[in-house]
Amino acid sequence: MRNRLFDIFMMGALISGMALCTAVPTEAKTVTDQAGRRVEIPDRPQRIVSLAPSITEIIFDLGQQQLLQGVTTYSNHPPEALQLPKVGSYVRLDLERIVSLRPDLCIAVKDGNPKSSVDRLQALGVPVYALDPRSVDTVLQAILEIGALLDAEQRAASMVRDMRSRIQQVTRRIAAAGHRPRIFFQIGDAPIVSVGTHTFAHELIVLAGGINVAAGPTAYPRFSREQLLGFAPEVIVISSMDRTAGSVEQTRTEWGRWPNVPAVRDGRIHLVDSDLFDRPSPRLVEGLEQLAGFLHPQIFGGSQ
Amino acid sequence: MRASSTTLTRRMLLVAVSLAAVLAAALVLALSSGSGGEGLMRSLTVVLGQGEPNPVLETIVWRIRLPRALLAALAGGALSLGGLVFQALLRNPLAEPYILGVSGGSAIGAIIGILLGLTRFPGVSACAFLGSLATLALIVAMSSGRSVLKKDALLLSGVMVNAFCAAVIMFLVSMTQDARLHNIIFWLMGDLSSADGATVALLAGILLPCFGLVFLFSHAMNLLLMGNDMAQSMGLQLRSVTVLLLVVTSLMVSAVVSYSGLIGFVGLVMPHLLRFVWGSDHRVLVPACILGGGAYLTACDILARVLPDQGEMPAGVITALIGAPLFIFLLRKTRR
Repeated sequence: MRNRLFDIFMMGALISGMALCTAVPTEAKTVTDQAGRRVEIPDRPQRIVSLAPSITEIIFDLGQQQLLQGVTTYSNHPPEALQLPKVGSYVRLDLERIVSLRPDLCIAVKDGNPKSSVDRLQALGVPVYALDPRSVDTVLQAILEIGALLDAEQRAASMVRDMRSRIQQVTRRIAAAGHRPRIFFQIGDAPIVSVGTHTFAHELIVLAGGINVAAGPTAYPRFSREQLLGFAPEVIVISSMDRTAGSVEQTRTEWGRWPNVPAVRDGRIHLVDSDLFDRPSPRLVEGLEQLAGFLHPQIFGGSQ
Repeated sequence: MRASSTTLTRRMLLVAVSLAAVLAAALVLALSSGSGGEGLMRSLTVVLGQGEPNPVLETIVWRIRLPRALLAALAGGALSLGGLVFQALLRNPLAEPYILGVSGGSAIGAIIGILLGLTRFPGVSACAFLGSLATLALIVAMSSGRSVLKKDALLLSGVMVNAFCAAVIMFLVSMTQDARLHNIIFWLMGDLSSADGATVALLAGILLPCFGLVFLFSHAMNLLLMGNDMAQSMGLQLRSVTVLLLVVTSLMVSAVVSYSGLIGFVGLVMPHLLRFVWGSDHRVLVPACILGGGAYLTACDILARVLPDQGEMPAGVITALIGAPLFIFLLRKTRR
């Protein structure tokens, strides 16, 4: 009887010991993340939860998706990401679900994920590495940092090299263009919302050789129809987050009522996938190439 | 006299024990359900401290679900007690912090506090308190005078105060194009997900003394219900008791609003239900509202966490879905 009790006790100790071993990472190190926080993270994280769609994209591009245990609701690229467990949207994280996935590292974005959620995760014993991508350059930096975290430095470096050369290719060809078209980049229809200076879309517009008529200190300024007609944009890009097919078409038809707007007159209204312009992901370069095609069709040949 | 006082004690004890059991059941259920994937039974074993150790589930149960469940219980108790006090003081069965616009006033204060970049405590809470006092003063001023007993006048004032508050909130939200905006809108719907241990301790520190204070005045509320003249002849300091209770109530409501946003109709549903079951003695109703209201909001929050397939919905959605139809029903019934 005594022996059996002892056996049971030992079994229990063994099981709990095993559970502890898998939960506690082998080696840990303290690093400073892109947001300037000092965090202790495992040397080789094995269970990652991505707290933003852009981070999910980067991890897939680095070929480290097998480490991903969970992603946010709108992580829709690549399509395989849709299969992963969801942990709420990036502004409203479901802490309970994150903890239940037993991550040894969460990767967050400073501007999107609420600071309170990040602090609580940290307090619950889940290390959080925060990125702070504010410009195309810092996105490239973020890719290198994720590469370093996930033991994929080389792949990250070659991705960044490739992106840089594609950006340079665009800017080099743009340099020849004499005229910088005025562009209205519309991200919302009711109310009409555009992009100010401190956005990725603005940076891409400038890189693609255009002038953002909505430039200004407000990140997402709203405009009345009157103001829009006053802007007289030569190119209009509609990047609606509302993906229902009808609504984007409706925005286009709405513009059709104002034929004296140069962009409407010349038929230079384009629809784009907003994910290419508002996510700090590698696909920003795709967005840049699309914009350059819209703004300077004579250089890039054709409308695309 | 002696016999009636023992029956009262017995009744109070009965109510307290039975509703405390209901609250405890609601809390256990709240600890056992959530999005964490593990089933109800697995979580229940952790709650009861049995089964093999499971550090992840223990973290979820004790450090995520427990603060949230306690926040719901505290907020529910405070809101339904708030409803009870307003109904007694204004002698109007339909009075309730949310319906009267007191919650809306504290929301305005809290939003101003948030936009000014103040910390949750004491900055935002103090702003919320000032906001609720201001709306309360407005309501009392509007409904006093000749029409003091007119139920409809008070409700209409409340509706207008509420509409005005909603407009001010929209105004503030539109004026600031801010990343915090998304969170403000969610918080406005009554959101309990921000709870952590420190929040709950702080809120308990504010609310529990208020609960005690209101309980001390529960007999005074009985007298108030008999009418001002009657109450005065029984030696009640009418004015000071009224002011004290109003201030304490708005302190409770604004504390709840600044931590969990606008959760409506709890102060309507619970006092009515409890009055229906236990009669109208406030010495029984005050503890009943605290315990029953806590259980009710805890249960609503469980639904809010469990119903959506992904993420959560604000608890205020559930309480409004239940409370608003009841309000219309009560309005029709009291009209007749």
